Order: sequence, then structure tokens, then C-alpha cells
Amino acid sequence: MFNLDQAILEWRRQMLAAGIKTPVPLDELETHLRDEIEQQAKSGVNEAEAFRVAVEKIGRANLVQNEFKKVEPKWADLEWKLTEVLLAVGSILAPLLMSHSVLFHRGSSAMTLSQKMASLAAFVTFALLVWAGRLSYRVFPVIPRKRIRNAISLASFALLGLWLQVLLRVILPRHDFTMSQVTLAFIWGWITPMGGWAGLFWGLETAARKKVPLASP
Amino acid sequence: MYCDAMINKELVAASTEPLILSLLADGESYGYALIQEVKRLSGEKIQWTDGMLYPVLHRMEHRGLIKSRWGESETGRKRKYYSIKKDGKEAMVRHHEQWSLVHGVLSGLRKEQHV
Repeated sequence: MFNLDQAILEWRRQMLAAGIKTPVPLDELETHLRDEIEQQAKSGVNEAEAFRVAVEKIGRANLVQNEFKKVEPKWADLEWKLTEVLLAVGSILAPLLMSHSVLFHRGSSAMTLSQKMASLAAFVTFALLVWAGRLSYRVFPVIPRKRIRNAISLASFALLGLWLQVLLRVILPRHDFTMSQVTLAFIWGWITPMGGWAGLFWGLETAARKKVPLASP
Repeated sequence: MYCDAMINKELVAASTEPLILSLLADGESYGYALIQEVKRLSGEKIQWTDGMLYPVLHRMEHRGLIKSRWGESETGRKRKYYSIKKDGKEAMVRHHEQWSLVHGVLSGLRKEQHV
């Protein structure tokens, strides 16, 4: 006598042996198998035959597993996830820490109230720029090649480095700034553009990852 | 035999994603129903290998085109339902543009040959 539940249990064992992971894909496949058997039974096929046909239609365990393997997260995906978490946390935590040190710094280089306010505005702008890049990834061009994206990020970072040199060596020495004024100029002149750079990086990378649905499966 | 009338393997593979997206754009669905629907709409000429559809669905979910949730079927069986996301809708529009382009070029060429 054919026992459907027993047969399905045996089929699950074979799928497991081929490496299909529990519970999600296997449970989903089992539901499919039962739907198919039910459908066939409605048209008068006996259970044993319906089971045989349904299993055949799902396909050989190792072939299905090969297809599933392609979708398992790869190392590069995990790496990107980690980068995103760091960007998200960093874009909030860094401005908070900097705000703290600006607000509670004592001594000769302590800022006046308006300077503190201006610094806080710069930190908020920093965080906004980072997130603006991430959230508006749809307006970024899709650059599929990682090397070109890296080149763009590195080049713009180098440009920022160059700008920092100009700021510190050329612009600031020409002014008779107090220490707190120098700090403020540095914050607006370099920290905030850094936020823009991080936003550019995040937006470019996200666009390349999310906007390529036409890559062949 | 019936093979002549069937769509070839490469074309089936290439059209899977636009078909899934277009079907899900009409509302939430699940693997078995998607297969049946495509079979019906194509007059049985497009037949997906059942087991191969799920890896494609998972890949599309992984890429953020669709999302899934576990629910219950009418008979109380637990079932995984898929629905389209915003990125998926955008991808669908682009697929449609590309397929109509190919279709337009092909039918244009055919007309030329018949004149």
C-alpha cells in the first residue's frame, strides 16, 4: 500500500542528502510537491503515480541544489553588508562623537556658542550628505565594473586629500585665526566634504548592486 | 513531436524573470500558481521545470526585486507567497522596454521581407 507521507519523507531525505537546506527551500518544495499531487489526484490519477510524476517534475535533487547554490550569499555580499553597516553606524556615531568633543571641550581653544552651533550644523550636514548618497542611488549611474568604481572613489578621495593640503598649508596660514576658528574652518572645509565623499561612494556602490536587474540570471 | 511548438530553453531562461515580475505585479502569488499561470497563458508552450523556479525566485528576492512571506493555503498548508517590490517594478519596466524593442525589430524585418 502506498503511503504518501512516507514517500514524501523519503523524498525529503534524498533532497537533504543532495544538500538542499532546511527549512526554507525544502519546505517550499514540499508544499509545491503536495500541491502538484493534489492537482493530479483531482484529475483521477492515483496517489502513487501522482507522487512519481510530481517528483519527476521538480527535477533531480542535485540539479536543483546546483541552482540554489548560485543564490547563496557569497563572501563579497557579506563584505558589502558589513561595509553598509559600518557606513550607517559611522555616519551617525562620528558626528555624535565630534559634537560631544566640540561641545564639552574646555581650555584655551574652547569655542564660543555660535562657533559650537556652526560646528553642529556641519556635523548634521555631514550625516545628511552620507545618507543622501545612499537614498538617492537611483540618480547615480550604474558602473558595473568594480575597478572603475574603485578608481572613481580613490580619485575623489585623493582630490579631497589635495584640498586638505591646500586648506591647511595655503588658506588657513594666511588668516590670523584663533585655534577655535581654525577648528571650525577645518570642520566645514574638510569634515563636511568627507560626508559628501562617503555619500558618493555609498550611492555608486548601491546603484551598481541594486540597479542591474537585467544582468542575466 | 511537441518539441517544435515549445519555446527553446534559452528563451525560457531569459524570459523567466520578466514573466515572474509581470505576474507578481498583478498581486501576490506562490511558486506553484506562477507555474500554472505561465503554462495557461502560453498555451502550455512555456513550461518551467518546477524545481528550477524556486532558485530563481530566491535569487530575485536576494536582489531585492521581490519579497516573500509565509502564509497559509486554503487547505491550511503553509505556503510561501511572493510579492513585487519597488525595484522589481522598475526592473519590469526595463524588461518590457527591451523585449518590445527586440519584438519591434523582428516584426519590422519580417514586414520588409514580405513586401
